[in-house]
Amino acid sequence: MGKNLPGYFGEFGGRYSPEILTEALEELESTYQKLKKSKKFKKELEYYLRNYVGRPSPLTYAERLTKQWGGARIWLKREDLNHTGAHKINNAIGQALIARFMGKKRIIAETGAGQHGLATATVGAMFGMETVVYMGAVDVQRQNLNAKKIEMLGAKILPVTAGEATLKEATSEAMRDWALNVSTTHYIVGSAIGPHPFPTIVRDFQSVIGVEAKSQFKKQNKKLPSAIVACVGGGSNSIGMFHTFLKDKQVAIYGAEAGGLGPKPGEHSATLTYGKTGFLHGTKTLIIQDESGQIVPAHSVSAGLDYPGVGPEHAYLSQTGRVDYRMVTDEQALDCFLEVTRIEGIIPALETAHAFHVARDVARDLGKKKDLIICLSGRGDKDVTEVLRLLGERSK
Amino acid sequence: MSKIKSLFDSGVFKSAFIPYFTLGDPNYNDSIEFGKTILDNGADILELGIPFSDPVADGPVIQRAAARSLKNTFSFDEIFRVTKAIHDHKPETPLVYLTYFNPIYHCGITKFLDRAKDSGIIGLVIPDLPFDTAESETLFRELKVRDMDLIHLVTPASEKKRIQALTKTSSGFIYYVTSFGVTGERREFSVDLKERIRFLKETIQLPICAGFGISTPDQANQISQYADGIIIGSAIQRIIEENGSDRSRAISALADYISKIRTSIS
Repeated sequence: MGKNLPGYFGEFGGRYSPEILTEALEELESTYQKLKKSKKFKKELEYYLRNYVGRPSPLTYAERLTKQWGGARIWLKREDLNHTGAHKINNAIGQALIARFMGKKRIIAETGAGQHGLATATVGAMFGMETVVYMGAVDVQRQNLNAKKIEMLGAKILPVTAGEATLKEATSEAMRDWALNVSTTHYIVGSAIGPHPFPTIVRDFQSVIGVEAKSQFKKQNKKLPSAIVACVGGGSNSIGMFHTFLKDKQVAIYGAEAGGLGPKPGEHSATLTYGKTGFLHGTKTLIIQDESGQIVPAHSVSAGLDYPGVGPEHAYLSQTGRVDYRMVTDEQALDCFLEVTRIEGIIPALETAHAFHVARDVARDLGKKKDLIICLSGRGDKDVTEVLRLLGERSK
Repeated sequence: MSKIKSLFDSGVFKSAFIPYFTLGDPNYNDSIEFGKTILDNGADILELGIPFSDPVADGPVIQRAAARSLKNTFSFDEIFRVTKAIHDHKPETPLVYLTYFNPIYHCGITKFLDRAKDSGIIGLVIPDLPFDTAESETLFRELKVRDMDLIHLVTPASEKKRIQALTKTSSGFIYYVTSFGVTGERREFSVDLKERIRFLKETIQLPICAGFGISTPDQANQISQYADGIIIGSAIQRIIEENGSDRSRAISALADYISKIRTSIS
């Protein structure tokens, strides 16, 4: 494997993981290549997506938001209406089917906001697989509802206390578990990150979002939207939304990343703005790091964006300029969370609230008679306790 | 020929003892003393760990060591200063670095290698840089120019085809990972460890040194019967962890442990 071969996106991507995982990654790659062509696999995946996840998810015209923001017409791709409440289930189902095909009886996952952990625990329950979810101890606290749901579904949560006790540490710990149990276990990576073939597999499973959105929009409007927007942490909902539109040059694409509390290192998770090329968790990508190449802890109000790296395909799309990535602060995201909830009657995930903030600016710039689709990546029930706490702090 | 390989070929040791510890734990100056103690008590090759914030191939003991080290202000200047002091104490013992690729990449490969060589380093072990990457090929080339080695890891999961392929860009010795998982002390090893090492010796024309999980003199003695070297990290790091707040106690415990292992594999 080398540059310009499958697994790289320009200079980013590849496979930079401990040797003990290489055979498993190669087995995963060859299995996926085989299954991708299999009609039976496609049929099975479609079956579960339709009858278990609830796809296709609706494309909702947000009439009140459109009026409020006074610009382009706003459309919402409703991943929040999927079973388990977010886009993560699209990938978890797909990877669980691969794991089953490979004869792996145990699945593990890392999770930040808990949505991927919840999706993995759900498919683990449905397919009868032993499931272990690594979650930073800090995230177990701030996303307690999801943590409890994961346990209720029969999965084991292992809180990770090392470092900042968030998504980065949970990812490292899941990789260590996989190294120990690689012959019996499949690691369901939750975002479009990690060593090849994970960024490609996750992207492919999440591409259903963009493919559906495009076809639904075209059917209703007989044209393409002017712009699409999604939030980017590791970047799975966004790459799923963006992928099918990349070739449509007339569609402007925007990513919203977590600007956190400000531009100082340790205060944000704005990898595409402040990151430098490096190697983390098996992939070459943009990473927030210090002058010695040590990874700097990330921060975001949303646990799902709180990661110092980003999927390698996003790093590439940022470098080529095809996608315009913008930062959104914690405060801006919180304001949008409240605004969308009140105006549209939809409580978005705090992660998605970042996308709404960028979308508001873009909608105003585009002006009327243009159309913009936001990937509403997940619902915000999980964030209610944290939001109330933050609002309490704000009012002090 | 590689300095490390020629040392093995010269037959000075039946099986080499290769201890490891993380630089900067609990501080850089103590690391110099720990390094000297380990050299004085019988290391044939010494592996020095450059701490990294996210050591995914390491178990809890070495993870904690890296975290303690990084509480000091990390700088390559300090790393190279400490390395040179250890090297100057016993220049005939080969020193190698074990670290992750990101710090090296960030420092700049040629700059890092030049400074590492000046400090007395003659080889690198990088657990997250597989041999079949463009970066590994570049690194191997640059190391060769400097008469330094790139030591690759082979694991129980590595298939024959892959093992044969990595020989083209390997030098010094092969770091054979004795068991699945990450670094850390273990009670038992896979039943086919002996056969795997024999197979590797027949396949690769390099010394095969075993690491990951070895901690007791008995284990070292047993595995040294068929491996060209024994690598021990976590057990040494645990001694530093448990005694590191008291430098002289740590030095005495290290001296005792290192000499016991040394005796067991002589």
